[in-house]
Amino acid sequence: MNSNDQNARAEQQEIDASAKWPVLVFFGSALLWLLLGGALQLAANIQLHTPGFLSGCEWFTHGRLAPAAQNALIYGWGMNAAFAFGLWLMARLSATTLRHGGWLFVAAKFWNLGITLGIGGILAGYSTSFELLEMPRYVTLLLLVAYAIIGVWVVTTFSIRNTENVYASQWYLFGAAFWFPWLYTIAQVMLFKAPVRGVLQPIVNAWYVHGLFGLWFVPVALAAIYYFLPKLLGKPISNYYLAPLAFWWLVASTALAGGSRLIGAPVPVWIPSLGIVANMMLVLPLVIIGLNFLGTLSGRFGAVGGSLTLRFIVLSIAGFLLSSVLGLALSMRSFAAIMQFTLLVGLRDWLAFYACFSTAMFGAAYFFLPRLTGKEWRSTALVKAHFGATALGVVLLTVGLAVAGSQQGHLLNDPAVPFGDITKALAGWHTFNSVVLGVLLVGHVAFLINFIWIACPINSQGTAVAQITNPPVLSLAAKEGHA
Amino acid sequence: MSQKPDNHFKVEQAAASDDSIQQVHAQLLGQKPEKKDGYPMLPLVFLGVMCSAVFFGSIYMAHNSVRFDPLVVNEHAKREKPGAVKVAAVSPHDLGKRVFKNTCMACHQENGLGVPGAFPPLAGSEWAQGPEDRVIRIVLLGLNGPITVKGQEYNSAMASLGGVLKDDQIANALTYVRSEWGNTASAVTPEAVAKVRAELAGRTAPWTAAELLKIGN
Repeated sequence: MNSNDQNARAEQQEIDASAKWPVLVFFGSALLWLLLGGALQLAANIQLHTPGFLSGCEWFTHGRLAPAAQNALIYGWGMNAAFAFGLWLMARLSATTLRHGGWLFVAAKFWNLGITLGIGGILAGYSTSFELLEMPRYVTLLLLVAYAIIGVWVVTTFSIRNTENVYASQWYLFGAAFWFPWLYTIAQVMLFKAPVRGVLQPIVNAWYVHGLFGLWFVPVALAAIYYFLPKLLGKPISNYYLAPLAFWWLVASTALAGGSRLIGAPVPVWIPSLGIVANMMLVLPLVIIGLNFLGTLSGRFGAVGGSLTLRFIVLSIAGFLLSSVLGLALSMRSFAAIMQFTLLVGLRDWLAFYACFSTAMFGAAYFFLPRLTGKEWRSTALVKAHFGATALGVVLLTVGLAVAGSQQGHLLNDPAVPFGDITKALAGWHTFNSVVLGVLLVGHVAFLINFIWIACPINSQGTAVAQITNPPVLSLAAKEGHA
Repeated sequence: MSQKPDNHFKVEQAAASDDSIQQVHAQLLGQKPEKKDGYPMLPLVFLGVMCSAVFFGSIYMAHNSVRFDPLVVNEHAKREKPGAVKVAAVSPHDLGKRVFKNTCMACHQENGLGVPGAFPPLAGSEWAQGPEDRVIRIVLLGLNGPITVKGQEYNSAMASLGGVLKDDQIANALTYVRSEWGNTASAVTPEAVAKVRAELAGRTAPWTAAELLKIGN
């Protein structure tokens, strides 16, 4: 038994060692983009209440700054972090090493070169007019080639797996590996290569934006949550037998739900109607996934406080539930009629991307980085600062955007209120949101410093070596929460 | 779980191995849920939720898709099926009324009585109800000089309208004039107008009453 344990540990160390450098390169680039994107986002938000800020410089006018920030966060931080986490978890759950990691360096280089050129292009004034596809056309091929390598690695790692069974996290990672290129190539071809005409363009764009959040970022976050709950609580997912149903139902509905972003738009009315129905169908997977997660957590909330990863994962679950509920509300025609062009719509996407996805990646990173590098986190204070800033930021920005959004919606619907007055009325909330974005940025800097101490070969010399114990075997008897 | 909480912030310790997570959950997938009172409640509840989602979703689509018509952008639109709405028939009389209002009414007035001393009446006029060859000619090239209508002498000019109005417009306007205000003359066809227009090719001078009286007897 003891030698079995040692074998298991040695096997995992081998897997972690094979994943170390590709994952560190992806995650390190992700963190740099997180800081840059966060800074750009803060600057763009400051311009909302202090219009003179940076207005002298053509490169930093709001119309360029806002999409540059958005793209840096989504493609720079979000995609890189998802690649790092996805490659590592796929290797772990497939019980196989990441082979030929050198190719992944090439992919990382291409991907980040593409993003750098893209963000530069946006700031230089070459952005396109499509949401989340603002990066100029010349980076498309770079990104696709880079993604092709990464996606093939995820899929082949899965297909050479050494395990008998496949776990929920693998469904979502495997699926997401196919859904992103599907969404991205179709959007690129239909909007740029052979552009469809007129009213079809916003339809394709809305489908892409909705899919990017719903079929890429949310599934990767769900993979993390499904993995870390049993992993850290030592308890199986409750009502797991419903999880496959939630998976298929979620995928089928999300793929059709993009039309709900076009309520009231001059597009054929069946498209928003179908989107609304598809969004309402999401109630079912939402309830199942909620039962899975909250049922597993119930009775074990005491354990959450002691585990950093679990704290982030709980934030992520809250973010997932909130963004789904807000998505449902925004697909009601009467609610959308008031809230459609307000900050509340931004809040839905931000909840999916930051509160759900990004927090899951933070939690995952606190788990896998010590295993990959063999070091422990050097500064507990910085770790706490990061979690505190993130939790506070998520709560405050949710409140800030929700209250400001609903106020904006009601003012916009009052014909007696001049447009300029609405802008003035919101200035206070924009200032509030700028402060919160600053708080989040402080947390990210704290994380980056700890990351450098754990991952950078030169700076990590003084960091203590991590003692990782061999995990116990999960058993069905632990199901009903004997802690 | 023997570590102090702070150690968790330095290194996270796992509470289950990857292998066992996969095994246990694979077992769970194959397992039937626990039964209470003979039936597993949860699957039944979800079956109900799924069915009602599909049911109400279909009804919503039926009400709000407007038959997937690509040209309808508003869910409140009442767009009838092609062929469901009868095309309203428009008579030459109605079409002629529009031409009359735009072109003739300024002088001959809406009630067709003209302006005494300046413009002759059409209602009850022997000219308007006379031979169609005459009225077509008047409209095509206009009329100049004295004319007697319903016993009254008029001396003014009517403009040539042949260049402004098309054959069917002239025919419709004349049909209207010849059947409105108690007039009872026959309708004028576009073909008749075209025939007269062809006969008059080359002529631009307006008619006089004396000239017209020689025609169509």
